[in-house]
Formats: sequence, structure tokens, C-alpha cells
Amino acid sequence: MRRIGKAAWVLAASSLVLGGLTVAAKTAWAEAAAAAQAQSVTIGTRRLTESQYRHAIADILGADVRIEGRFEPDRRDAGLLAVGSAQLSITPAGFEQYYALARSISAQALAPERRARTLPCQPADPKTRDDACARAFIAKTGAALFRRPLTEGEIASRVRIAGAGAERAGDAYKGLELALASLLAAPDFLFRIEKAEGDPAAPGQYRLDGYTKAERLAFLFWDAPPDAELRRAAAAGELHDPKGLARQLDRLAASPRLQEGARAFFTDMLQLDHFDGLTKDPASYPKFSQAVADSAREQTLRRIVELLVVQKRDYRDLFTSNATVINRQLAAVYGVPYLSDQAWAPYTFPAEAERSGILTEITFLSLFAHPAASSPTRRGVKLHEIFLCEPTPEPPADVDFSKVQALANGTVRTRLIAHMENEGCAACHRVSDPVGLALEHFDGAGQRRTQENGQPIDVSANLNGQSFAGAPGLGAYLRTQSKIPACLVRQVYSYGVGRATDERDDDYVADQSKAFAADGYRLSGLMVRVASSPEFFKVKLPARPRPATKVAAAATGDVGGVQ
Amino acid sequence: MSLRFNRRSLMRGLLGGGTVAMGIPALDIFLDGHGAAWADGKRLPTRFGTYFWGLGLTDTPNGGTRWVPKTIGAGYEVTPELEPLRAVKNKVSVLSGFRVIGDGRPNIVHWTGHASILSGIAPAMTNRMDAASFDTKVADTIGGGTRFRVLDASASGKVVSYSTRTGSAFATPETTPTELYARLFGPGFQDPNRADWTPDPEIMLRQSVLSAITDQRQALMADVGRADQIKLEQYFTSVREMENQLALGLEKPEPCESCVVPAPPKAGVKAASVDTVNANTKTMAKLLAMALACNQSKVFNFVHTPGASETYMAGSSKIYHQITHDEPTDAALGYQIETSRLAGQVMEGLGAFLNELDAIKEGDGTLLDRSLVMAFSDTGYAKIHSIENIPIFLAGGAGGRHKAGQHIAGKGEAVTRASLTAQRIIGVPVSEFGVGGMRATRPITELMA
Repeated sequence: MRRIGKAAWVLAASSLVLGGLTVAAKTAWAEAAAAAQAQSVTIGTRRLTESQYRHAIADILGADVRIEGRFEPDRRDAGLLAVGSAQLSITPAGFEQYYALARSISAQALAPERRARTLPCQPADPKTRDDACARAFIAKTGAALFRRPLTEGEIASRVRIAGAGAERAGDAYKGLELALASLLAAPDFLFRIEKAEGDPAAPGQYRLDGYTKAERLAFLFWDAPPDAELRRAAAAGELHDPKGLARQLDRLAASPRLQEGARAFFTDMLQLDHFDGLTKDPASYPKFSQAVADSAREQTLRRIVELLVVQKRDYRDLFTSNATVINRQLAAVYGVPYLSDQAWAPYTFPAEAERSGILTEITFLSLFAHPAASSPTRRGVKLHEIFLCEPTPEPPADVDFSKVQALANGTVRTRLIAHMENEGCAACHRVSDPVGLALEHFDGAGQRRTQENGQPIDVSANLNGQSFAGAPGLGAYLRTQSKIPACLVRQVYSYGVGRATDERDDDYVADQSKAFAADGYRLSGLMVRVASSPEFFKVKLPARPRPATKVAAAATGDVGGVQ
Repeated sequence: MSLRFNRRSLMRGLLGGGTVAMGIPALDIFLDGHGAAWADGKRLPTRFGTYFWGLGLTDTPNGGTRWVPKTIGAGYEVTPELEPLRAVKNKVSVLSGFRVIGDGRPNIVHWTGHASILSGIAPAMTNRMDAASFDTKVADTIGGGTRFRVLDASASGKVVSYSTRTGSAFATPETTPTELYARLFGPGFQDPNRADWTPDPEIMLRQSVLSAITDQRQALMADVGRADQIKLEQYFTSVREMENQLALGLEKPEPCESCVVPAPPKAGVKAASVDTVNANTKTMAKLLAMALACNQSKVFNFVHTPGASETYMAGSSKIYHQITHDEPTDAALGYQIETSRLAGQVMEGLGAFLNELDAIKEGDGTLLDRSLVMAFSDTGYAKIHSIENIPIFLAGGAGGRHKAGQHIAGKGEAVTRASLTAQRIIGVPVSEFGVGGMRATRPITELMA
């Protein structure tokens, strides 16, 4: 009785306080809206990905700062984590991790051997507070971390933390460490907070503010926060001017850091994060190990960077090229000798290996399979989703599985034919399965085989009226499909703006695809054209907050329940 | 100075979060005296957990069930797939015949079932729920006063949790025994039975780090849209949880008679086969149980295997999900033989989990007697993705508030009735749960003491 009474009191009190906050937030919103053009508006928030976080720390505090911790899982929406990141928040378990990272990183950055590099000044007395030095450090490092200048309030609160901490610990550096940790745990660092402002060229309209533009550019091209030069250009308003923007784009695209940007983009597009949860049955695939999985992922990224960024080749070659790089672990699974004394070596597969293109790598073949078997359906579904931007609908719930029965022998093709004869299944399986069946010379770990259960495997396939055989036939077929480059255009754009495309973007995607073709399907050209198009910086104002938050309403309702 | 600061931040965390009873049990003004509150059996805290496994249990529309007991009420018989629960049978209620009522929404395979049980609404799309999962309400009601308002763990190596406050951002589970151990008993853990306790002066410095963040809250929230407001609310809730954790670190923990700090587990094997998942389940259950006994948390969510489970018998080339669809119903026996064998294996996980909770003596009973675990799945008859007759279990005495050991036949009633019952047993002040055809207003009173 007493327990419930207490709970009710706390609930009532908390809903009151929440109600107050809500009103405050509402008022602030109304004021912001009233001030319209002068005020900036937050149009979206996107949680930093793990690699963006790592690149930020390396750039701002040094590559030798160790980042040991677990990051909250990302979420894939419309095929991309970059789109899903706009849905993500930070849960209590996740914040614990970010907070522990903030403490560990700031302790390293202010450790005796690194503090001279980290700080723009030296505290006058190492034993107590130096507010001027703290201010200089917080303003400089904070602007790099928050990707915009800090407000006076943001600086002042951290100067206070540094001062109080220095006094309490008798150590100026301890105080600065606390201030840095406070920046690293802040939402302004952990989320990309995208802002729009009134557009002086078009009264009544909004445009992205300079820092948000800089952020979109830097994360697209380098997977890293804007460097000092890009922030300078943003502050000077140069990114609103086509010439100023072009200057920065040339610089971004010419930098070797474009390789990091490409790695991050393809890690997302190819869904390489699935490696984190990938396990194979050790009895079925004894050669498959964590080292093989890690190497396979690295092989895919190295091949892409070499082909598309270093050699600047035609994107479609990714589906036919048999030139790659391998290491010792991969050689064992591919069943080829490894003769180099280097960690990685170039390797060109002979034609009879049927290893042509990215679909014949261990990555694609093992990621989209079962723990102890291949899966033509999964491979087909993922090929369509990733490379053709054609997601497969969820299977219907009420399928009659009575005809789809297990077979003790024969190949997987026999089983799948049952799907294609079943009306509820056929519409999707007729699309997904042929391409998957063409890859059946590779098992669930990506090893080559020509038989299954003692039967020869038939790798012939027919899709959209075209017949082809095996992986090389599939690669050659895909290379001719205009949907392949058009899908890349779509993916690059969605990745950059953090939003899934829809039919309203079709004309834009078509125009960009035409330009992509005219340019010989070069990746960096595509990225520059997308980033310099007005659509890349287009502002979509968000729905306004609800009058009262759900939490407050629920709390009030709960009190009613007790009474 | 230090104490005032500490209390203030604690209260700020308490009020700002719209959450209940946070910190209260640990504040000595509410206790009768040091130690007495925990030594007295009546005052031992009640715990709540969810336990999820994928692919339901085996039955077929034409009879041939392998799990639904024939008799109703107490003393139900142990059916073949319930065999792993035999040791704790009298502490487990079996709920059969409850279904999802979608009000025209499609059955999103391997999602609609448990999303409805947890959120009360048949979801509009996969991987999202249309309302918060109810475990968060339980956590807000009873989860305070401990380091972790809620603990999430997943045993199959997959990063999966179905606990959500926003409907789109889900909790982050620990996925290995090693990770779980580090979070529970690694840095930041204070042994409640340690005699020579002193507060760590570093904690107050850590608290100051967060003050600048909460100070900026209003400025940040001023010009955001609806979706971002919800996300940032979640972020600030997480910050408050951290503040609460730090504040508790400055309080001398109350002794817990059942708390024995466990040794670190051996690094597990990374595999999804059912024997590995069950071994992880057992190890993680041991750690979770001890975390509850050591008063580190009162609420948990555990995922044995996700919906559309990809677990398999070691060495077999087919995964469970595929087998449920492909395997024919045996004409003589009336059920799918291999599917049922796997279901039995999967239930070994639940049995092991509950046995671990039951192995810890607490007061005049066991930890399981002080807990309520709601275990459920994504489907009923998995071969056809049925969302009727989804197996649901309520396990544990809930401190005397659950009349356990019964079989309740739902006769086509909404699954939300089970969810409402769980909430009411554990003391969440709700009068109804779910919407539309799944709006439940009457808990299953037969189960409530």
C-alpha cells in the first residue's frame, strides 16, 4: 500500500516536471518558428557510425589514440545503414559505452606524452585551473568535434568543469580531461545535427547551413568530419557559392582520403556489417574461421578501392574482373597456392576457376548463405537488393508449404523448382532464384564445387528471357544491365543525404545515371556530380513536435490506473 | 558538499525521466535500517524478465500438438516439448490458445507475433513496433535503485533485442558471456557485501562531465522536429541513467545475502548451433541471475534465438527455420519429427535458464520465486507462420503474486491479455494494454494471487 502510494507520488511529480519541460520545448519551437528566417532549424539527426567516430578521433586527437569499446549496432533502412542512422538514438547500454570511450579517449589525449600535441596552450600552473587555456582548448577542439563553432554557453560550461576539476584534483590537465570527455559524450558530437537557415537568395525558403553542407561533403568523400579548411570555407559562406563548392569538391575528390570514403560507402552498400554476426558450422566448413571472414571483408574492400579509386575503372568491371588480391588465409579457401611473402598479393584467377567479379568472392558467397549450406534464394535476394536496388517483398504468411518438402538427395535446384511451381512463391522466386542457382558452383563458405549429394550441379539460368550459365555468365549479364549503374547512383545519393529515394527522385536518378554513363562509369566523377547538384543540399523540413510527449501522457495515464 | 551534489543529481535523474521509484530503495531514509530491508524476506525485490525464442513449438492444425497440455488448471501433464521444464514445472504457467488479432494488418512473418505481445499493436512494418515494448514500462516501475534499469542479452551471437522505447531504436544486448560479465562485474561493480567500502572520489568528477551535457538540453531541443525530439529524449534518458549509476556509486550498497561474485566465464565458441546457443544461455543465465541477486538490476530481456531462428543441429546442413517449412508432417505421428526435435532442444535453453534462477536461494525461497519471467515466441505453428496459439509461459512466483504451475487455455483470446497479466502481477499500474481487437482490459485473474 505504502509502496504504491509512493510510486504514484513519484509518477505524479515526474509527469508534472515532464509536462513543464514539454511546454518549454513547445514555446521554444514556437519562438523559433516565429523568428523564421533568421533562426536555424534542425532538420535531422544522424548518429555517427563507428567508422565515422573512429575517423573523427584519429583526425582530431591522433591516430595513436586507442578506441577500445563496443559501439551500438547500426540499423539498415532501405538497404543502407546511412539511411537507418537517421532513425537511431542512443540507448542506456550504448551511452555507457560512449561515456566509457569518452573517458578513455580524453585520458589518453591529455596523458603526459600527448598533452603538448593535444593542447593549443600550456596551463600556467600545472597544479590548478587556467581558464584562458581551457577556453582556447575547448573552443578549438570543440569546433572540430562538433563540426561547428561552439556557443558561448557550451564553452563556458566546459571551462567551469575544467576549472572545478583542476581544483578538486590539484591537476590542471585532469580538469581539461574532464572538459574533453564532456565534449566527447555530447549529442553534438555523437549525432550529426543537420541545420537549415533562411535562404537570403530565396525569401521564405530554407537552405542547409554551411556547416551542415561541409559535414555532408566530408562524410561522403572521406567518412570523416570536415577538416579545418572545409570548416573555414563553411564559415566564409563559400559552400553556398557554386565556385567555392567546386573548389572544395576538387580537393575532396583528389585526396587519398577518398579511399576511406569509398571503403565506408561500400561497407554500407554491400552490407559487410553482416560479418559481425556471421558464423559457419565448423563440421561442414572446417576451413572457415574468423580470420577468413576478416580477410574476405578486407579483400572485397581492397579490390574495390584498387579498381574504382586507384585505377578509376568502369564500375561495371566489378562484375567481371577476375583480378583481385588475396592473402594466405583466403588462398586456402579459394584452393590456390600463396607464393608471396607479403601479407597481401595481387592474384588473377584463371577462367576455369569461374571467379569473375565481386559476386564470386568469399564475401558475397558466405555472407548470403546458411551456416552449413549455400542458399541460392538468399544470394538472389541480396543481389537484387544491393546491386539492382530491387528489394524483395516479405514472403506471404499463408503460403501452402505442403508441396515444398525436404529432399534427402539431389541438388538444391530440385527443391527450389517446387517454389517456382507454387503460385504464392513464384512471383519472387522466379526472380531471386535463377541468379542464385548460377552461383551454385560455390558452397556456403565460398569454396568451389561441381557436385552436391553426388549429383552434378547445373548452373544454367534464365532471367528476363536471357539465358546464361554459371558465375561468369551471370557477371557478363549483369554488366549489360542499365539498372546496375542506376542503382549505384541511387545508393550514393541516399548514402550522402541519409534518406531513401522514392519516385520523386526518379528523374534526378535518371539524369545522374546518364551523366555517369557519359563519364565512363567512374566513381569519383559520380560522387562529385551528386554532391554539386542542388538535390544534395535540398531541405525537407521535419514534422513539428507533438503538443505533449508520449512519455508524459503515458505517465499521467499510469497514475490514473493506480487510482 | 559532495553528498548534496550527489543527491541533487540523483533527484534530477529521478524527476526528469518520468520514471518511477528510481534510487528510492537505496536511500536510507526509506529503509528501516541498514541490512534489515534485505534480510527480511518480504522486502526482497521482485524481478521481471522476458525470454524469447524463435519458431514457436510444434503443433499442427489437425491436432498432433507436442506442447499443449490436455488438462486445464494446476497439475498439467508434461508434454514432450515441455520436458525440459519438468524440474520447475510447478513454478511455470503454460498459456496456450492466445493469438494475434491484426485488425486487417498483414501477418508480417516472424515479426507480428512477438511485436504484438510486446507492444500491444500488430505492427505496420517489419523491424518496427508501433508502440514501446511493455518491458520498458516494467523497468520504469520496478527497475530503479540499481545500476542497470534493464539488462539485455542475446545468446545466439546475433545482436538482437526486441525492447524498444521509440519503436525504431532497440536495446543493445550483450552477445557473449564475456561481454555480459564485463558489464555486470567488471569496472564499476561494487561488491555489496564488502566490509571496507569507501566511495570512489573519481565518481564526482565523472558526474561533472555530464552536467554540461544536460545543461545544453533545452537549447538542443528548441528547434527539432517530432522524430528528432523522440530520439533526443531517448538520448537524454540514457544520460540520466548514467547519472543515476554514478550517484549510486557514491552510496554504500546494501548487503545482499545471496550475492556471490562469480568468476569470469571462459571465452565461448562463436557458433549458432543449438548446443552452443544453449551453452551460452546457461552461462549467461548464471551471470544474469547473480546480477539480480547482487541487486545490480531488477529487469532483463533475454533472446535465446531470434524470430525465423537460424539455429541448427551441429553438423546438419539445414537451419531450423528451413526445416519448419520443408519438413512434411509425419502421416503416422501427425507432426513434424525433426522440427519437434529441434523445438525440444530449444526448450532445453529455457529450462536451463529457469533452473539457474531457481538455483539461487534467497530469503525463504529462490530467486525464481521472487521473479516473473515471461517467455514467448514469434509463431505458433511455424510451418505456416501461424500467429495463433503462440506459446507463452509465465515462470516464477513473482514474490507470491503469481499462482504458478497452471495451464491456461486462451481459446483464441488476444496475446495482449497475457502481457497485461504479466504487468499486473509485477505491479505496473496499468488498467489496459493493446489497441483495437487486441485491447485487453481483464488480466487472467486465475494466475494472480
